Amino acid sequence: MTDTQLGRTSPRNGLVIRFGVFGLIVVLVVGVLATRLFYLQVARGGYYAGLADDNRIAVRPLRSTRGLIFDRAGRPLVTNIPSYVVAVRPVDLPFEERPRVVSRLAMLLGIPEREIIEALDRNADLLFESVRIAADIPTDIARIITEEGRTLPGVEVSVEQRRSYEYGPLVSHLLGYTGSVTRDELAELGGVGYLNDDFVGKAGVELTFEEVLRGTYGLEEIERDGAGRVLRTVQVVEEPQAGNSLELAVDTTIQREAEMALRWGMEVAGLERGVVAVMNPQTGEILAMVSLPTYDNNQFVGGIAAEDFSALLEDPNRPLVNFAISEQYPPGSTFKLVTGTGALSERIITPSTKVQTGPYREIGGYRYWEWNRRGFGQLDIFDGFGHSSNTFFYQLAGSLGMDRLARYAHEFGFGSRTGIDLPAEARGIIPTDEWKRGLFDQPIYPGEVLQAGIGQGFDSATPLQVLNAYAALANGGKLYKPQIVRRILGPSGNVVRDFEPELIHELDVDPEALRTLRVAARRVLTIRHTYNLVQLPLVVAGKTGTAEFGTRDAEGRLPFHSWFVAFVPKFTADQEGDPAEPDSELAVIAFAYDSNTKGNAATEIVKYFLQLHYDLDVDLRRPDLLERGNFYGGT
Amino acid sequence: MGAIRVQRVDKGPWPARQAHALWHTFDIQMALYALALGIVGLLIAWTNSAGAPLAAGSTFTRGLMWFAIAIVVFTVAAAFEYRWLRTFAWLIYVVNIALLLLTLALGTGVGGVSRWVSIMGLQFQFSEVAKILMVAVLAAYLYSRRENIGSLWTIVGAALLVMPPLALVLVQPDLGTSLVFGAVLGGMLFMTGARLRWLLLGMAGILAALPLIWLEVLKDYQRRRLLSFLDPAADPQGSGYQVVQSQIAVGSGGLFGKGLTNGGQSAQGFLPERDTDFAAAVLLEELGFVGGLVVLILFVALLWRVLLIGWQSDHLFGIAFAAGIASLILFQLVVNVGMVLGIMPVTGIPLPFITHGGASLISIALGLGLLQSITMRRAQPSW
Repeated sequence: MTDTQLGRTSPRNGLVIRFGVFGLIVVLVVGVLATRLFYLQVARGGYYAGLADDNRIAVRPLRSTRGLIFDRAGRPLVTNIPSYVVAVRPVDLPFEERPRVVSRLAMLLGIPEREIIEALDRNADLLFESVRIAADIPTDIARIITEEGRTLPGVEVSVEQRRSYEYGPLVSHLLGYTGSVTRDELAELGGVGYLNDDFVGKAGVELTFEEVLRGTYGLEEIERDGAGRVLRTVQVVEEPQAGNSLELAVDTTIQREAEMALRWGMEVAGLERGVVAVMNPQTGEILAMVSLPTYDNNQFVGGIAAEDFSALLEDPNRPLVNFAISEQYPPGSTFKLVTGTGALSERIITPSTKVQTGPYREIGGYRYWEWNRRGFGQLDIFDGFGHSSNTFFYQLAGSLGMDRLARYAHEFGFGSRTGIDLPAEARGIIPTDEWKRGLFDQPIYPGEVLQAGIGQGFDSATPLQVLNAYAALANGGKLYKPQIVRRILGPSGNVVRDFEPELIHELDVDPEALRTLRVAARRVLTIRHTYNLVQLPLVVAGKTGTAEFGTRDAEGRLPFHSWFVAFVPKFTADQEGDPAEPDSELAVIAFAYDSNTKGNAATEIVKYFLQLHYDLDVDLRRPDLLERGNFYGGT
Repeated sequence: MGAIRVQRVDKGPWPARQAHALWHTFDIQMALYALALGIVGLLIAWTNSAGAPLAAGSTFTRGLMWFAIAIVVFTVAAAFEYRWLRTFAWLIYVVNIALLLLTLALGTGVGGVSRWVSIMGLQFQFSEVAKILMVAVLAAYLYSRRENIGSLWTIVGAALLVMPPLALVLVQPDLGTSLVFGAVLGGMLFMTGARLRWLLLGMAGILAALPLIWLEVLKDYQRRRLLSFLDPAADPQGSGYQVVQSQIAVGSGGLFGKGLTNGGQSAQGFLPERDTDFAAAVLLEELGFVGGLVVLILFVALLWRVLLIGWQSDHLFGIAFAAGIASLILFQLVVNVGMVLGIMPVTGIPLPFITHGGASLISIALGLGLLQSITMRRAQPSW
């Protein structure tokens, strides 16, 4: 060989097989491609070639039926009802024809031409995708448009399902609504089968359970004629799969009772915003959640009119906001639960320790006042909690210090989202030294510790957080994630998923402290701190709160929100409940925003709710306590 | 063609007067097959120019311009003394990485990707050129390891060389091109005689790493594309739509096709990306099974010439370079046409010659030109 003559070895000699293998691979894979090509174009070519040259085959999605939502008693809260939709496929509408078609459509649909043109131009880059012009059009109009099809090129009439919310405003904050998908949402959801003119959950469980409710879209091959009208379905490539349904933990009966009590209290007291929420402390299930003012989610179905939407947005009381979870307020005296539990668990006091109360505590030259400006003499924890003595809890908070106070607050779930399956939950604030240094570059001052001990100062919490903290007290120390949905049901009613109680954590506190505070919460009622609530023929324990906010008036008084959170120990016909036992199956909270009334408005609301809920034969409502007045001083 | 055997007489400079003699060993067949494929690409550009192929800036006129540039590149590359590639391999490598970094820094693209760099108003995708430069660098590396070609360290070294450009392309993000790097590496190692056991071990390692790649490396849209390949209907408006539409276009082409510019599916806009990744679908719809077969045969013929040049060169650089180019063409052919035919997932890998895009054509012209340089100088004394 020449190569050996040249004094080098020929590398290719060892590679004959490799070259052969490579050649074989080339032949094989190209053979596979050619075979597939033959299959598509020749063997199965008739499948497509049989269709006339002018006809066009297209695939289009088949929408799935969105899942329904029921309450815990199986009442349907939302149903799907058929609705006619008019859309335009821009590519099929010749430009010179556009003015005529637009004006005819505007006349038939009774909408301004400008709106149609805007809708078309908004999607100018998506020639092949239908642009929705109007939804929910009457049957006769739909028929006219269909009949005029030949002179309205590109116009399509189709039947879609639209949401109908059976209970409207009663559960709007929980259900939310669906709306047209926006460009931004589409980009985010992109590729998981959302269409340009699709609907997507925008609020409430419609948003948080979007994936569950939506189902899976199918796909069909259709044949169009030259004018773009659908002639027939060639084949269904994939059947759509209906979405699953939700069964809420909420009971509309209880929701109605809660709303009725809240509406009554707000009306009598002249309040603008309020919340009532009801929970089963043993499971974390939300039985009712009412935030007023509310809105009608049916307004959003098929697109809300611009003026309606701006009216909702401009309303100073923000009806679109669910105040039970999306806003945070100073928890006021309801927070004394945290201070009391901390002091007992840390052995700063025992249940029998007596603490001297007085008109005020003075720290750093500032006076921190008792709410009655006199004091209550010597109190143990039961009476301290019962009277809601500020000077009592100032001393406990001072001994605990800010960081230990914060630790117990976190134990009860303050300062973190509860994780409820609703959008836009607020986190709340529990100040610590580190937090304040980070935010204000200042340490916590001793006076701020006192304020934090009675739920003022920086402390803030959502009504749901306060309710959940007391639910944990009522059940003996289990902090559950509040559950809005109880079960996910398949299209045939089969249970797809059962929501088990989900423990956030077990409270790392002395269990005896919780028992003590349950008894103390009963004392709140028995010493008539809540007027006649104790006269209800059932044993209720609870805690009031008066939380100052805003700016002082001419006499140096602050406006306040009022709180009342209660739990009802388990009872039977011949055995009344025992607050010492962790067996409550109902906890309720009322929050009355900016409620300067003579009595505690929230207490009156809860009282009325309990009357309604337990169908009591008494009416202990005290409208006189709801008169505007200056019940100033805190409870 | 009979090989010209030259007895080495002395190590003196290659006489300048013999320069024109080089072209006697120019591989005319290979050039013809490539030219034919380039013309098919122009035909598709013509049909995709929406009725005005001669208008300035149409797909066709741009295609024509790139075609002319590609012929110049091919000729210059053939005239170029390929041995300089060995000398300057490291420089090429550094330039290659710099170009890819530049793409990341300046690049523009669709939907958060940066693949194209604009030069004088023209979009250019450096990662295409990077493939060819990487073939040259790897060939030089394997040549330098020719005594230890069977060693595991040769494979490890080659893999380490490929890793940085591959990673840079992957973060653009361009999964397709990074897969091409992998295929080229595999093909070159196999053809230069790497131990099969190490190659198999490496493949097993990559397979084992797949779950990790799926979870950590792939972007959401890439995962969706792969999933939609497995279940096209799951994403009817996204990549599943492309797959279904592309098959309809191809299927409706039939035996002889609908004729150029008569493709209903593509012309009426049902078929997305007809200029780029799915250009082959237009070809198959309009030229039919017969046209498709001709193009496939042209590709096989081209691959045969490429491999033959490697075989005839009879040195490890030539074999490696030819193997790299052959692997590149074969892989892109299979993945792109497979995608159009619905038997491969949707990846943005262009079909050489057919997919419009200057960078792809220039790169392939560069690669083939360098192969010509190798075959033209095979009888020339080595340095």
